[in-house]
Amino acid sequence: MKPPAFSYFAPETVEEATARLAEYGDDAKLIAGGQSLVPMMNFRLVSPAALIDIRKIAPPDAIEESGGHVRIGALTRHRALETSPLIAHRIPVLAAAMGHVAHLAIRNRGTIGGSLCHADPAAELPAIAVLLDARIHAARRGGVRTVDAGAFFEGALWTALEDDEIVTHIDFPLLPPGAGWGFHEFARRHGDFGLAGAAVTVSGSAGRASEVRIALLGVGETPVRAHAAEDLLTGSGFEPDEIAAAAAAVRDGLDPTDDLHASADYRRHLAGVLAERALADAWGRAANGAS
Amino acid sequence: MERIGITLTVNGAAYERSVEPRRLLSDFLRDDLRLTGTHVGCEHGVCGACTVLLDGDSVRSCLTFAVQCDGASVRTVEGLGEIGALDPLQESFRKHHALQCGFCTPGMLMTAMDLLAKYPLSTDDEIREGLSGNLCRCTGYVNIVNAIREAAGARGTDKA
Amino acid sequence: MSSQAAGAADVARPGIVGARVQRREDPRLLTGRGAYVDDRKADGTVHVAFCRSDRAHARIARIDTAEARQAPGVLGVFTAGDIDAVARPIRATSNMPDYRATELEPLARTKVRYVGEPVVAVVAENRYLAEDAAGLVSVDYDPLPGVTDPESALEDRALLHDEAGTNIIAAREFARGDVDGAMADAAIIVEDRFRIRRKTPSAIENRTCLAEFEAGRQALTLHASTQVPGLLRDALAEIFDLPGRRLRVVAPDVGGGFGAKASLYPEEVVVCALTMRLGRPVKWTSDRMEDLTATTQAFDEIVRAKLALEPDGRIVALDADVIGDVGAYSIYPWTASLEPVQVVSFLPGPYRVQNYRGRVRAVATSKAPMGPYRGVGRPISTFVMERLVDMAARRLAMDPAELRARNLVRDDEFPYKSGSGIVWDRSGFQECLSSALDRFGYAQRRTEQAAARNEGRLVGIGIASYAELTGIGSRISAAPGMPINTGTERATIEIDSTGAVTAAFGIASHGQGLETTLAQIVAEELGVRVEDVEIIHGDSAAVPHSTGTYASRSTVLAGGAATLSARALRKQAIEAASYILEAADTDIEMRDGIISVAGTDSSITLRELARAFYSEMRRIPKEARESLELSASATYDPFFGTTTGATHVAEVEIDPQTFGVTVRNYVVAEDCGRIVNPMIVDGQVHGGVAQGIGAALYEEVIHDENGQILTGSFVDYVVPSAAEIPDMAVIHLETESPSTLGGYRGMGEGGTIGAPAAIANAVADALSACNAQINELPITPDRLFRLIRDVEPREGESKNET
Repeated sequence: MKPPAFSYFAPETVEEATARLAEYGDDAKLIAGGQSLVPMMNFRLVSPAALIDIRKIAPPDAIEESGGHVRIGALTRHRALETSPLIAHRIPVLAAAMGHVAHLAIRNRGTIGGSLCHADPAAELPAIAVLLDARIHAARRGGVRTVDAGAFFEGALWTALEDDEIVTHIDFPLLPPGAGWGFHEFARRHGDFGLAGAAVTVSGSAGRASEVRIALLGVGETPVRAHAAEDLLTGSGFEPDEIAAAAAAVRDGLDPTDDLHASADYRRHLAGVLAERALADAWGRAANGAS
Repeated sequence: MERIGITLTVNGAAYERSVEPRRLLSDFLRDDLRLTGTHVGCEHGVCGACTVLLDGDSVRSCLTFAVQCDGASVRTVEGLGEIGALDPLQESFRKHHALQCGFCTPGMLMTAMDLLAKYPLSTDDEIREGLSGNLCRCTGYVNIVNAIREAAGARGTDKA
Repeated sequence: MSSQAAGAADVARPGIVGARVQRREDPRLLTGRGAYVDDRKADGTVHVAFCRSDRAHARIARIDTAEARQAPGVLGVFTAGDIDAVARPIRATSNMPDYRATELEPLARTKVRYVGEPVVAVVAENRYLAEDAAGLVSVDYDPLPGVTDPESALEDRALLHDEAGTNIIAAREFARGDVDGAMADAAIIVEDRFRIRRKTPSAIENRTCLAEFEAGRQALTLHASTQVPGLLRDALAEIFDLPGRRLRVVAPDVGGGFGAKASLYPEEVVVCALTMRLGRPVKWTSDRMEDLTATTQAFDEIVRAKLALEPDGRIVALDADVIGDVGAYSIYPWTASLEPVQVVSFLPGPYRVQNYRGRVRAVATSKAPMGPYRGVGRPISTFVMERLVDMAARRLAMDPAELRARNLVRDDEFPYKSGSGIVWDRSGFQECLSSALDRFGYAQRRTEQAAARNEGRLVGIGIASYAELTGIGSRISAAPGMPINTGTERATIEIDSTGAVTAAFGIASHGQGLETTLAQIVAEELGVRVEDVEIIHGDSAAVPHSTGTYASRSTVLAGGAATLSARALRKQAIEAASYILEAADTDIEMRDGIISVAGTDSSITLRELARAFYSEMRRIPKEARESLELSASATYDPFFGTTTGATHVAEVEIDPQTFGVTVRNYVVAEDCGRIVNPMIVDGQVHGGVAQGIGAALYEEVIHDENGQILTGSFVDYVVPSAAEIPDMAVIHLETESPSTLGGYRGMGEGGTIGAPAAIANAVADALSACNAQINELPITPDRLFRLIRDVEPREGESKNET
């Protein structure tokens, strides 16, 4: 289990990096923290001709609030997200999700850009990005563009990013004031990828839910929003039977596959359970106007 | 074969070496620097045996290329205490019989150093979750938790 | 806490044996100064990467190595013929009837029989280059019919080994009494089909071997991460036709074994053959994928079993049929019969079972060979028997603890001959049960459990009692009919001319702390301080014959040899000292390395004695110097061995929605005889239980229907972490064994034997309201989900446990 040979570049600017990407096309891989890429290289599942190390192109751990969102630099490490007071305060559901991301040694190295680009459907950060409609900013030679998280994840380990594009930063909208949130994940072993997970935000007023978001991880090719369940709950009082009906809608809307860790039926069941718990937590945390 | 020059410090000593880009930090430490205290258990980031401190943070040396460490400071188990002058954490491991075969131990120690620096470790659950990225097959973890609990308590005393 | 129990033992016996002595091994291991095989870097070492079969069962049509040979840094690419030219074949033989030996080729010659089997060895200047070149080898296969499912394999529609004529490569039956008659007359019968899914031991150090050939002496040295250096030396001597004096096997620091490093492996033969051919040291370091696919695997049985009882709970008969899925080859030296036969040997457990019939068939399938793994067979037999006991208790509406108490062999019944013919010597079976329940707070916790159930929580309590044979001597073979001796160990203790004490053994400590515990025994018996004793082990050159460390034998056997040789050496040292101290032997004592005349201040140190004996030729008469030795050797043979019993009690809680199982509380009471070092005994129990919890809830080697292995990484083969393993309390009963020198019993495996059964019973107890049958391990959340989903629709119907 030794990685295959590659050429190594450590550009100092985005322009240099994108030039290198343009040169190698799909024979190049960007490396940030490497926590997903290097295992795949050690197993020789991927053999890039060139590895472009982007650690020098931006300051790590850039997290700042500006105009209704939190902008996070792509090289920001998981550990910085985990400990950021800004995120804990403004996007607490993201902070909560970080507690489920692997282990300290992985969080010390792994980056948000790397996690989003790796696009593991069981990973937490892609699910939170989809939950909150994060906007992912990418650069390529001669241009930049922004991709909505909902369109960014195209399949398991597959994104809308072109071969010569590089993610520079991500904008996460702030949770509305008073919004509640919930995050539940179930893994067989602490720190492992979840068999399923559910992230929820909800705003309410006068005891009625005004905006409900539910995203699920580990139950499909990409993280998914449970729109049918969201619609069921919008305008509801989040009574237990309403939450249960929404959880049933979550289950009905999923089509996971069997794998060696769990059957499709169990995953579907689990997603419903976790969604129900996350919904209840979210409503409990929401300043919903109910007495 | 392409090689790249790197300079870094390991346990306070400066090294300048030329390495193949694909050389894993774990192999660089073990084979190039002959620091064989860092062990390799899985080479896919699960077992934690190869954990070292990179600029103060615990990392998997099997998931890190040596070239990524150009300019960095690395600390390995050899940089803790020595025989006859163990670090307090090592002493606690010995006192509590927190090691058997010793193969996971360097990774456990380096992870625990980082946990002690970053977390309160005020409950056993917190210690156990903190250790969950380091597999041990011998001890059943009971005595490792005991050793770290004591080290965490002593750390509090030092600060007071 | 366990430490309190250990503390009590300290007070009870202030001697060196029994004390919580800190480990000798620790300073080097804690500072990264250990010396594991992969740490050794011989000048000019070259590295092997294997091309392994990606087919479960296929004929090798063509191997093309041309491109690989041209790759950078490659010294050679080798196939079966290259190895066969210098190495005799490996066959694990046995005189057991109905056993068919299978030849284990170091590199597959004509056929491959499991995914991961080595086919081609590529040698290069480093492992990176070796893997690069291995990727350039191409092997064409002609597919053969799959032999994957063990029950289908019994039908012999496709044969894995044509020359065997059947896939059933071992079979045996035990019978006592009239099982059918007793079953017919019994008040109740409980029965089920049980299955435990394949495990792999997963030591954190992968297997590693480094062979060096010294051309001048024509001598071969193999450094190997093995539990059995002596056994390997003897086997390699046969394979390469070398005398032992030119063949040495060294096991330096070894990073865990658990049975996985107790067999001879193809890779070890290959590196030896290649170092002789290439004239360079040849190293192979397994990676984790290789370890998870090609190291021996275990715990893979299907057991149909039936237990009959009287209304008062008395067990009257047990009937079992066992199918062991032993994988592709019979491993050397233990053979494929090792685990499955143990299952039927130990199935009656520590209970009085007058009528017993156990039938076993070991069936070859296209999977990695089955080998020894901590507990060998007994985790399965205990799982089955203890589930049956709990199922019976339920049918009888009797407390499962009470049912055990009524059937466990009582103190006045030892020695007791079990249903399969094993003789249990005096051991605290009943006391283990009562002590474990007391410590657990059984009655109180049953009350709390009832309250929790009323809240809708799924809390369960499970008990498991078992007995094992440990420290077995020459009368009993470690594996059925095996032609090698595993029943003796030897020790040589010397005082050299500096007064230093060195004790040499053939065992090979790999985490057990034997450098410490054997030093304790030598120090106590000889009369020196622990720190004065150096222990040599893990080196075939240290003793004329040994096998190694496995089967819970090293404290009993090596400890016995240490005792005998230390006593002999002490006698001679005192006699030598008598000339200097001018006193009678009987008046001289030796303690802490000081030899003194009782009741006087006349004394000498060991160093002074050694100087007098070896160098100051006038202080001891010539005749005495010639007849005495400051050295003694002894061999110990416990002949039969001894019994180790225990009871485990576990409490679990199941999340009724996610079906995650959390182990909340765990107590072990075990009788390991006289304790050498309570700290180390605790650690052995903790580690064993953790592996048992892994077997019960997490670990499973999974193959698809084509025999492809799906669990080739630690992501997919789930070894539990600290977050999944609870704190545990360990109670040591020290019923000194009547059968072994020193009263020691072996205890390294017990934790793994009891835990799967205790967890299974606790889970079943938690689910007792829904009649879910817990008969398959590991109990994953997905299995529980499906089990409960399939059971719930029928809830309310009468569904008894038969």
